[in-house]
Amino acid sequence: MNLFSFNFVKSTFSNIKSNKQLFLLSVATNFIAFTVLGIFFLLFVNLDILFSSWDKHIQLIVYLDDKVSNSNKKKIELLFNSNNKIDSIVFISRDKAWENFRGKFSSKSKFITSLKFNPLPDSYTLRFVSAPDRLKNIRDFSEKIKNEKGVESVEYGEKWISRFEHFMIFLRGFILIFGVVLFSGMILIISNTIKLSIYSRKDEIDLMTLLGATNAFIKAPLLLEGVFQGVAGALLSLVSVKLIHLYVVFWFQGSLDSIFRGIDFQYLTNPIIYSVISTGIIIGVLGSSLSANQFLSRRYSE
Amino acid sequence: MIKVFNLYKSYGGIAPVLFDISFDIQDGEFVFLTGQSGAGKTTLFKVLFGWEKFDRGQILVGGINVGKLNEKNLYQLRRKVGFVFQDYKLLVKKTVFENVAFAQQIVGANMKTVRTKTWNALKNVGLVKKKDSYPSQLSGGEQQRVSIARAIVNDPELILADEPTGNLDSEISKEILALFEKINQQGKTIIIATHSAEILRKKECRHLLLKRGKLLQS
Repeated sequence: MNLFSFNFVKSTFSNIKSNKQLFLLSVATNFIAFTVLGIFFLLFVNLDILFSSWDKHIQLIVYLDDKVSNSNKKKIELLFNSNNKIDSIVFISRDKAWENFRGKFSSKSKFITSLKFNPLPDSYTLRFVSAPDRLKNIRDFSEKIKNEKGVESVEYGEKWISRFEHFMIFLRGFILIFGVVLFSGMILIISNTIKLSIYSRKDEIDLMTLLGATNAFIKAPLLLEGVFQGVAGALLSLVSVKLIHLYVVFWFQGSLDSIFRGIDFQYLTNPIIYSVISTGIIIGVLGSSLSANQFLSRRYSE
Repeated sequence: MIKVFNLYKSYGGIAPVLFDISFDIQDGEFVFLTGQSGAGKTTLFKVLFGWEKFDRGQILVGGINVGKLNEKNLYQLRRKVGFVFQDYKLLVKKTVFENVAFAQQIVGANMKTVRTKTWNALKNVGLVKKKDSYPSQLSGGEQQRVSIARAIVNDPELILADEPTGNLDSEISKEILALFEKINQQGKTIIIATHSAEILRKKECRHLLLKRGKLLQS
């Protein structure tokens, strides 16, 4: 380590030591802000996993008209077979469908057993190949097929999928806006802490400039102090979010199993963890630069 | 060493504090900058040191055009000039040794150089025995000597001393003046701002006389 690095690291620790309370206050504030953001990320990650798992189970059901002609039926089957994004095609006759239905629900309603006719149509259950754009493929194909002659309707739970998609978009936007607000707030907090740190060492910093210190020499310890504040807040928040995650898994595993259907409640993904730490570094640098630059430029223009 | 041409400086554009000042000082000269309180001595020093901006004119210090400096390269001038402050500007939480070493640490000198040069500077001003004392444990004269040691430790070409004996009694002032003469004999250019008639009587040298911001004698 050269003398410049040694001096600025030493100077950083001496600043922190002499402004211990302010430093801890700033770390605590950043920690709270990052934790709130982390909880939203935790929610987002798990809902996203849940949505992806649902996505894998979605299948397209094509109901046929009762009076569909054989030629139309063949034409529809040809359309299925010519689409390479369709993985499997299962035909369920109206009799088989009625049998399945009665098997499932006759014990719950006497109305079903007393019904003298079969109200269900013939149908095809189409399973699509796994792909990132699987849902889009289902959507596109259902749009194409629903107007074909002989097709009564198509069904793949579009309404609730669309609602859930909108909710995820809203959540993503909310986290983004909320994150920007917290980000700005944290920059201001670090900036003010560094400002107080500068003013508590004003005589020394003034003297440094008078004795010929470069701006980089003066700024480096202040930037490092800001980075320490940001990163410490970020790391502590990751620990606290991990504890929240463990708490939820420990106490609500049963309920989660029924909601998530065998999918584990996940901690934050690695890219999110790295992003939180990087954000800590960025807000530290921005916050401290803001005060350091302001102080140094004001000194010169005096 | 210093060339000043038609220098003007005012605060808030009212009456100028420095009015059409021109002079030059050669390498190795010993000069007194004199004048009553408020004549503009400290302002002239601050302008020469890049501590304050000026309105008009040209200043060259050791080949550096002071008017062209900005906050990023001002340090180049500051490293060429050792400044002795009237109020010493010592860091109270640092020892005598640390105060002097501080001036070298901030210019990036290595540990060995810092130790050797600080030791030599303290020897030069006769404060080796007080190296572990804190400023509050020193007399005014001793504090001023620490300030001088700090000003010379980086081996600057020019020393500006602003009223270095202003707070000291006659005997100590004599010692301080002798110290500056010794430094001057080592080849440094010295400018001392003072309004003390006693100091001025003690040394035969060039005087720059300021009166209400105008240079009457150069």
